[in-house]
Amino acid sequence: MKKNIRVLIAKPGLDGHESGAKVIARALRDAGMEVVYTGLRQTPETIVQTALQESVDIIGLSILSGAHNELCSRILKLLNENGLGEVSIIVGGIIPREDISILKEVGVKGVFGPGTKMETVVEFVKNLVKKKAQA
Amino acid sequence: MSKRKSKRKGPYNSEFVERCKIELKRWEEGPVKDRLCGELKPQFSAYSSVLTEETRAEFRTGSGDFSIKRVYTPLDIADIDPIEDIGFPGEYPYTRGRDPVGYRAFQWPLNFYSGFGSSESAHKRYHDLVAAGATEILLALDLPTQLGLDSDHSLAEGEVGKVGLALNTLDDLERVMDGLPLASLHIGTIANCIGPWMLAMFHALGEANHLDPKQLRVRLQNDPFKEYTGRGTYVFPPGVAIDLASDVVEYMCKYLPGWEPQYNCTTTMRWGGCTAAQEVGFGIANLICYVEAAQRKGIKPEEVVPRLNLHMSTDNDFFEEISKFRAVRRLWAKTASERFKTDDPRILGLRVTIFTAANRLTAQEPFNNIIRTTAHVLASILGGVEYIAVPAHDEALALPTFESTRLANLTKNILHDECFVGSTADPLGGSYFIESLTNQIEEKARDWYDKVEALGGAVAAIEKGFYLKEMAEGMYRYQKEVDSGERTVIGVNRFVLEKEPAINIFKGDREAERRQTERLNNIRQNRDKAQVEKALAEVRRVANTKAAGKGENIVPSMLEAVRAYATVGEIFGVLREVFGEFQPVVIT
Repeated sequence: MKKNIRVLIAKPGLDGHESGAKVIARALRDAGMEVVYTGLRQTPETIVQTALQESVDIIGLSILSGAHNELCSRILKLLNENGLGEVSIIVGGIIPREDISILKEVGVKGVFGPGTKMETVVEFVKNLVKKKAQA
Repeated sequence: MSKRKSKRKGPYNSEFVERCKIELKRWEEGPVKDRLCGELKPQFSAYSSVLTEETRAEFRTGSGDFSIKRVYTPLDIADIDPIEDIGFPGEYPYTRGRDPVGYRAFQWPLNFYSGFGSSESAHKRYHDLVAAGATEILLALDLPTQLGLDSDHSLAEGEVGKVGLALNTLDDLERVMDGLPLASLHIGTIANCIGPWMLAMFHALGEANHLDPKQLRVRLQNDPFKEYTGRGTYVFPPGVAIDLASDVVEYMCKYLPGWEPQYNCTTTMRWGGCTAAQEVGFGIANLICYVEAAQRKGIKPEEVVPRLNLHMSTDNDFFEEISKFRAVRRLWAKTASERFKTDDPRILGLRVTIFTAANRLTAQEPFNNIIRTTAHVLASILGGVEYIAVPAHDEALALPTFESTRLANLTKNILHDECFVGSTADPLGGSYFIESLTNQIEEKARDWYDKVEALGGAVAAIEKGFYLKEMAEGMYRYQKEVDSGERTVIGVNRFVLEKEPAINIFKGDREAERRQTERLNNIRQNRDKAQVEKALAEVRRVANTKAAGKGENIVPSMLEAVRAYATVGEIFGVLREVFGEFQPVVIT
């Protein structure tokens, strides 16, 4: 049987705007994926721990406070340290254009700003998982 | 006040109503049918913009709640009593506004919500704003400060000075406000879980500047509800948070007559997916809860209501929003009159204030946002609101620049001062469409209000996740409409540019965190440690009286702690130990 894609949607840091995270969580679920949403104010440590427990393929981080560079670097580092280097990270929120390349350089697979279609994110996640399975 | 019950409500006699029905039928079957017959008659076909069919099978309001007719006629207001239901400005039921003369004796202030980085960078911005004519500055605080955490707390890493300014001790506030005209400038914050501390900080700031705190004009949002229903910056369980917030109400009502202690902000609920009618119904339920919390402290509704307001959003549907503002004033007047058994105009006249829909601004082609906010501001003014904050066009990209924030602010002044929009009170009053929509919104909002009351009121609605569930539904529905193209967003799903021109956006102060934590350590070394410990022990003692159910007001103890240069993290650390933290129901 084909295994469902498992996604963790997480709100790292102190930012409390979660409607974007919730909409994406629901869209991924409606597309047949298994989605865990962490709720607000998660530390990088708890996010990585949840990713481990839930054995997810992908983590989607929602950040609107401007703390994205610090938070993404820490989460990627912790994933590697915990043997979860295979887990991909995507980011949604308010990310200045110049920071997108910085995030991609440290290993973030995709960055989605305001106005992104839900379908775009769903397709991106599917392709990411497919590519990994083929690799 | 006119509350008499007349036999016939509407403005027309039955003969006229019959005539209208006949005329409407004639028009539908004549000109309308002719126009939509499938081919364009010569008198219409000269322009390429004229289509053979209506663009939608059904036209609905922006929030989706109401179907809109092709035209509105006297029949749509035939059951409305122009005296009882609409009335006069400044009188029950306040449909036409709270001020008898509308905007004829009114001037829009230049009000800014601003702050970022450390006290140095914010200090400069505030001086620039005052030089540009600012009469009010609301301090935007960073997330750690809003949550009562010091800048060197592990959760604060990467967040210091990002969405606002970092304030840890009185020293930070003294620096940031240094040299500003405190006796004439309105100041405040929109932080909601640290209300008593903000009161204490501004109070102590006045003292440090040799001013009687009564001379300051301070406005605090101090609205815990907002944080459980959209912004997420909560700390304590809702009951505790509301009790702490109403300590501020009590203290200001007793000792600080010119200060504004609290307002309920429904903007984030609206942005998070509420409809216009939900925003009205939920907002009124929230406000009732605040008035009753103040009553428990011995403050009468006539003392507190004039100092409160409902801070709403102005969304995209121009007419639905105008009608919403008229409906919310009328529903409040009726609800408060029943609830508090009064006809006191101080209680029944609701002040409605606005932060226009920042959620409708797009990151794509940000200059388009100037047009959007102009429509939002115009709808707010035509709806008779009393204060408007306008987001800048670049806010979907970053914090606003000095230029963009000033431009946004001037929208209301240009409309008021140059476009004659304030010449008469409630200029759309009596419009068949507006009056009809006002009625529909009021009715639907009343249902939502009743639902919240049936759950046990606003606190219960939050604890049960009721608001969040409704919002999540609305948000998902909206996003699906945009994705499918059913709802147009220019630059996002219509007239999309392949390659967008770059614009200049605000660059943050990347050194703020380091400077801020250095200064914090300095303060910790150089203050009177015994005094700090004594003050914190007193905060703990008062908090414990609350936990034991015989709550003293927390403000005096907090004021002592602030004067002793205790940090925000120390003070709220004590409260966290006593009250615990809120654990929300996670809803997606």
